[in-house]
Amino acid sequence: MTTIETPAPQPSGTLSPGSRLFTLASRYGTFVAFLALIVFNVAVTPNFLSWQTLNVNLTQVATIVIVATGMTLVIATGGIDLSVGSVYALAGVGMGLILRAAFPAGAAPPSDAAVIFVALISSLGIGLLCGLVNGVLTVGLRVHPFIITMGTMMIFRGLSAVVSDSQSISLPDALSRLVRFNFGLGPMVKPVPALVMLFTAAAGAVFLSRTVPGRHVLAVGGNLEASRFAGLRTNRIVAGVYVLSGLAAGLAAFVGCGYYGGAGSSDATGYELFVIASAVVGGASLSGGRGSAVGAMLGAILIELIRKSITTLRFNQNYEWIIVGAAIIIAVVLDQASARWTARRLARDAAAAPSAGEQKGEKPV
Amino acid sequence: MASVRFEAIAKRFPGVQALSDVSFEIAAGSCHALCGENGAGKSTLGKILGGIHAPDGGRICLDGKPVHFRDPRDARAAGVAVVHQELAFCENLSVAENLCLGALPARGGFIDRAKMEERAREMLEAIGAGLDVRAPVGRLTVGQQQMVQIAAAMSGQARAIVFDEPTSSLTQHETEKLFELLRRLRAQGVTCIYVSHRMAEIFAICDAVTVLRDGRHVATCSIQGLTEDELVQMMIGRKVEAPRPAHVDAAPGEELLRVENLASPGRFSGVSFALRAGEVLGMAGLVGAGRTEVAQALFGLDPAATGRIVVQGREAAIRSARDAMAAGLGLVPEDRKRHGLVLSMNCRENATLPMLERLARWAFVRGGEERGLVDAYFRTLNVRAPDMDFPAAGLSGGNQQKIALAKWLASRCRILLLDEPTRGVDIGAKAEIHALIGRLACEGHAILLISSEMPELLGLSTRILVLREGRVAGERSRAEATQDGLMRLMAGLRAA
Repeated sequence: MTTIETPAPQPSGTLSPGSRLFTLASRYGTFVAFLALIVFNVAVTPNFLSWQTLNVNLTQVATIVIVATGMTLVIATGGIDLSVGSVYALAGVGMGLILRAAFPAGAAPPSDAAVIFVALISSLGIGLLCGLVNGVLTVGLRVHPFIITMGTMMIFRGLSAVVSDSQSISLPDALSRLVRFNFGLGPMVKPVPALVMLFTAAAGAVFLSRTVPGRHVLAVGGNLEASRFAGLRTNRIVAGVYVLSGLAAGLAAFVGCGYYGGAGSSDATGYELFVIASAVVGGASLSGGRGSAVGAMLGAILIELIRKSITTLRFNQNYEWIIVGAAIIIAVVLDQASARWTARRLARDAAAAPSAGEQKGEKPV
Repeated sequence: MASVRFEAIAKRFPGVQALSDVSFEIAAGSCHALCGENGAGKSTLGKILGGIHAPDGGRICLDGKPVHFRDPRDARAAGVAVVHQELAFCENLSVAENLCLGALPARGGFIDRAKMEERAREMLEAIGAGLDVRAPVGRLTVGQQQMVQIAAAMSGQARAIVFDEPTSSLTQHETEKLFELLRRLRAQGVTCIYVSHRMAEIFAICDAVTVLRDGRHVATCSIQGLTEDELVQMMIGRKVEAPRPAHVDAAPGEELLRVENLASPGRFSGVSFALRAGEVLGMAGLVGAGRTEVAQALFGLDPAATGRIVVQGREAAIRSARDAMAAGLGLVPEDRKRHGLVLSMNCRENATLPMLERLARWAFVRGGEERGLVDAYFRTLNVRAPDMDFPAAGLSGGNQQKIALAKWLASRCRILLLDEPTRGVDIGAKAEIHALIGRLACEGHAILLISSEMPELLGLSTRILVLREGRVAGERSRAEATQDGLMRLMAGLRAA
C-alpha cells in the first residue's frame, strides 16, 4: 500500500525475486484488498452490481474522492486541511444563492448551459477563494495548518449558515439533469459523478508524478529546508496546495449538490475526517513527502466497501464505526511496516550493486 | 575498572560496510584513543560499545566476560556510558531535571524539588563541575552541557566512558577543562575511550591508541614512542603528500564573483573578496567564525544580509536561493541531510530539483531528457547507486554529496560554494571529491571551499581566506599558507 506514482522505492533490476514480489504486494496492497472486497460483495449480495446500488454508492464516494485528491496534495506537503467539509457547504450554498440571484424566478427561464456555467464558476470560485485564504494564512502567519484550517473550518461553516440563514436551498433542475445525465444508457445509469471522480483522481496522479509543481510539492513535503536551498519558491508551493484543495472541495460541491438538487449549510459535516482517512489509507504520509491520488481514491472506495460489507454480512450496524476505525489504523500500520521492510530490503540489495557507470559496462570517469 | 575487548566486530549500514573484523583490547583504567579519518568507523565502534548500535558480527568482552547490549540501558547497567558528539537533552528542562530524569525523586506523587537539586549538585561535584542546577540546559554552553552529560554518565557508576569527538565544538578553555576531568576520571580508575582524529589531543591525553581505516583495524599501540607523522600515516594508509592538483598552476580566468562589504548583523561584517574562474578560494576559520553564514548569505538565504555582489561584472541582487541560482551560484550545504537533499525522494529527483522547469514542456517534466541529463552527470561524478531511481536516503555520505553537487552542475552553475564538502564521507569518496574539485576548477568553475580540515584547504586552495569572529582576518596565497600560520590567524594569535 505504498504510493503508486510517488517516490516509493522503485523495484529495480538488482532486486531479488522475493523482495520484488513483496514490493509489488505492498505497493498494490490497497488495490488487492479492494478487489477482494468487491468479489466478496458481489458473491454475497446478488444485486450488488445493480445500477441502483452502484449509483448510490458511487455518488457518495465520488465527492469524497474529489476532495481527497486535493487533500492528498496538502498532506504531501506535510500539511492538513480540516476546512474541506465547510468549504463544500459554503460553495454549495453560495452557488445556490448566486444562481437564485442570477436567474430570478419571475424572469424568462434561462438555458441549461447558462445555469451550468454560472454554477460551475461560482462553486469553483468560492472553493478557490477559501483555499486561498487557508494558504495565505498558513504561509503568512506561520501557524500550523491544523490550527488555521480548524479555524477556517468553523468560519466557513458559520458563513454558510449566515448567508443561507440555515435554510436549505434548492438548485435549478438543469444541474441535476447534468449530473444525473445517463448518456442514453437507460434511466438507471448515472455515471457523471463517477466520471468526474476518475478524472479528478487521474489529474491528481498526473500532477504529482509528471509535472514540475507536483514534484515541487513532494520535495517541499520531504524536506522544506532543502527545497528552499534548492531555490524552490516554497511559500508559493505550500499556499498553492491549499488553493487546489479548496478548488477540489468546490468541484465536489458542484457534483454533490447538483446530484441531490439542493445545498445546505450543514452539508458535508465531518467530511474532513473521511477524506483524510482515504488519503492516508491510500499511502499518504502525514509527515509529508509521500502521497498518491489514485491511492486516495482506492482508500475512499475501500472504506465505503468495508461499510457496505458490514451491511451485507448483516452485522449489527452499531459495530460499523468500530470496524471502520480499526481498518483505517490497520491499513496505515501495514503500509508503514511494508515501507520499512522494503527500505531495508533495498538497502541490503544496494550494498552489492555496482555503480551506475560500471553497470553499463563503462569505466567510471 | 574494566578492560574492554572487541572480538571480530562487524557492522554494516545501508550502502557502507562500517566495520569489519575489528579486534583489539583496551586496558582497564587507561585512556585509549580511537582514531581514524572521517568514515573510518571510529564513532560506530564507540556506539556499538555504548549499546546504541548492535554489531552484525563479533562480540564485546567486558573484563573478559562476553556482554550483549541491546540498547544503551543495557550498556549503562553494565557500566558503559557514552558522551555524545551531538548532545541529547531536554533543553527546556533544568540541569537538575535532566540529570535526574530517569529517577525523579518524588514525595506523594509530586517531584521533590529540593532533593532533586541536592542530588544533581552532588553529581556535578563528583566531577568537579560547579553549575547552576536550576538553569535550563538550553542556556548552557556546549562545554557545560557536556559536563552535565559526563556527570550523568558517572552517576550511573560508569566503569568505562566513550567520548565521541568531545571537543568538536568546544573552545580552547573548555577543552582544557575537559582534559582535566578526563585525567581525574582516569585517576579514579575509569576506562576512557576517546574517539577523535585530532592529533594534539590524542597525544596530550591518551595512553594508547587504536587506528581504524575504512572500517578495519590497522594498529593498536602505546602512545609512547609514537610520532604524529607515524600516526597520520597509519590513519591515511599512504604518504601524506597528495599530488599537486593541476588547477593551482593554471592562470586564473575572468573574475566571476566579487563580494564587497558583505555583512549581516550579529553574524559577520565587512567581508570582501573576489573569485576568478579556475580558482579554488579556501575559507578557513573556527566554528562560529561565520564561514557558513557568509556562504548562505551569498546564496540569498540570509534576508538580513547587506553588501554588493557582482557576478561576471554585473551587480546581482540576490534575495533568494532562486536569484542566486539564476546568477549562476550553487551551494552544497554543510548539513547534507537537513539542507542538501530531500531524503524521501530518489536520486534522480534530487539531482534535477533546482532546474526542473528547464526540463519541462508546459509544466510537464520530459522524462527522457531528465534521465539523460542525470545519467550524464552521475557518470561524470561516478555516483555509486544501483540506478538513478534509488532512494537518496539509501546511499552512503559520499554518494549523497555527489548528488548534492550534481544538481548544481546540471543547473550549469559556474560559481560553486562548497561548505565542508567532505564532512562525513569515507576516505575513498573524499579523494574522489578532491579530484573532482580540481577538475571543476580546471574546467573554469570558480569554487569557494569552506573546510575545517587543514590538509584539504592547503591541498586544494589557490588562495586561502581566513575568517575570525565574522571578519576577514587575513588572506594567504598558496605559497605562503602553512597549517601553523593559518591556525594562528584563525585563533587570533601572533605569528610565531
